[in-house]
Amino acid sequence: MENKSKLNSSIALLFRTHPELGALVGLVLIFIVFCFTATRFLSLESLAGIVTVASELGIVAAGITFLMITGEFDLSVGSTFGFSAMILAITANAGIPLWIGFLLALSAALFIGLMNGIITVKYKIPSFITTLGTMMLWRGILLAITGGFAVRYWGTSSFLRGLNGHFLGEFRSSSIWFFIVIFLLNIILVKTPYGNFTYATGGNKEAARALGISVDKVKIINFIICAMLAGLAGCIQFARFHSVDPLRGTGMELEAIAAVVVGGTLMSGGYGNLIGTLFGVLLMGMVRSGLIMSGAPAYWYQAFIGIILISAVITNAKLKEWAIK
Amino acid sequence: MKKDDILVKMVGINKRFGTVQALKNVDFTVKHQEVVGLVGDNGAGKSTLIKILTGVHFPDKGGFYFEGKKECIDSPKKARDMGIETVYQHLALIDLMSIARNFFLGREPVRKFAKVINFLDRKKIDKVAKQALKDIGITIRSVDEEVALLSGGERQAIAIGRAIYFGAKLLVLDEPTAALSIKESHKVLDYVTNARERGLSVIFITHNIYHVYSVADRFTILEHGEKIGDFNKDEVSAEDIIEIVRTGKVPARS
Repeated sequence: MENKSKLNSSIALLFRTHPELGALVGLVLIFIVFCFTATRFLSLESLAGIVTVASELGIVAAGITFLMITGEFDLSVGSTFGFSAMILAITANAGIPLWIGFLLALSAALFIGLMNGIITVKYKIPSFITTLGTMMLWRGILLAITGGFAVRYWGTSSFLRGLNGHFLGEFRSSSIWFFIVIFLLNIILVKTPYGNFTYATGGNKEAARALGISVDKVKIINFIICAMLAGLAGCIQFARFHSVDPLRGTGMELEAIAAVVVGGTLMSGGYGNLIGTLFGVLLMGMVRSGLIMSGAPAYWYQAFIGIILISAVITNAKLKEWAIK
Repeated sequence: MKKDDILVKMVGINKRFGTVQALKNVDFTVKHQEVVGLVGDNGAGKSTLIKILTGVHFPDKGGFYFEGKKECIDSPKKARDMGIETVYQHLALIDLMSIARNFFLGREPVRKFAKVINFLDRKKIDKVAKQALKDIGITIRSVDEEVALLSGGERQAIAIGRAIYFGAKLLVLDEPTAALSIKESHKVLDYVTNARERGLSVIFITHNIYHVYSVADRFTILEHGEKIGDFNKDEVSAEDIIEIVRTGKVPARS
């Protein structure tokens, strides 16, 4: 009896300290289901397809995770994604070296993040509203300067191949960038003082401030990280398609937030990690590919994600409730 | 520094929020190894005074001396660096973070990686947190537990243990016994005595005069932003203090 309760409490501790476990269970379950229903789901091409989709979304979601743990939101990531990709496309067509265009695209993202951060922190506006505004602002500017037309880059470049070229058959280098981003951000979050500041800022802003943490600075920096990752993801997707249209990235913010929440990160901040987000985006990529391979019309994807999102949040909440008892 | 030397001296503190004069020419001192009860009704200015002392607010007018030196506290970090540690009623700890992480929050011990990157020294964090909490008399199952799981008294203990460990000279406790059970309140009062024995000074802010009376050496009473009384423990009874806070007047001495 004694042993059993001890075991129970260690399992509880494990679940409490590992927000990603719920998403891992979901991932395994969905994987098993699709292995039976989808033909060729277990092939290398199918796996590569899943990882490719998951990587581009995942880099955006990684930034959102960081920001959500800080207790803030960024709805403008989709617009930042499109805007950065467009800068890279336009500068490339203007004959500017791609790496310079890439740096320009990232700088634009940095600026967008800085602006989100400063407006939110300085004027004490909920970031939901700030970034809803900047989402429309940058999307609008994007549509206005392109006149609504897509931009295509006809050249070839080793820089773009590096960003998102093929390797090992169907795999793409975006997946490497994605794993590096997840790995680095998770190390910062879990193993450095800055990670502690980030959790503390999201967990209890006033307490963190009283303990001498520059809460506003942490927030602004994490807004910038989030925006720059969205910009990076935009450039990476441009490297895959060699084209970008002004609506690129629309709706991506919600998909990314869904992946983050499925991964166990709390919307209210202070709790979560990047590993959960990794599982979350893989899960969403898997559902997307798996449904198509099972012969379901692609439209079902959204409906399915909706169900998964809600069940994941309920499960995570219940798990936490149980673990804290 | 000897006992009875003055640790903190605030002179003529004024603070206004919009049209509200929160503090009017308040003088406030804390001696070394002294427990001062800061009492007064809601809106008397207790919190404002403490927030000025801990760098959260900046006074409109007034001087501040710490260990006899004129200082200017312009941020909570500065106050903390000087050795003024605050334990707020609700703000002391981050619920969703582990005990160990909370213990070192803002002052994380680090190991250098490749000479540039600072990594948290997890081993030290866990070991020291556990030992320091044991020293002040609380044992916990694991320092990896989230603070959310702890009782109110245990939270106070962790915050106080943290302050003592980091060599605080002055401990500011804001309503430390509010919302605690009788048993836990008494434990917290023991921690206060414990802290004084270890050489700290304590400012104890509360509505519960009986709690503060059992541990304090001196009482400073505020009313509508002004100091209306300053008494050593042997000059007043707990009932006297309650009467002064209730009426807002110091009765004529017989």
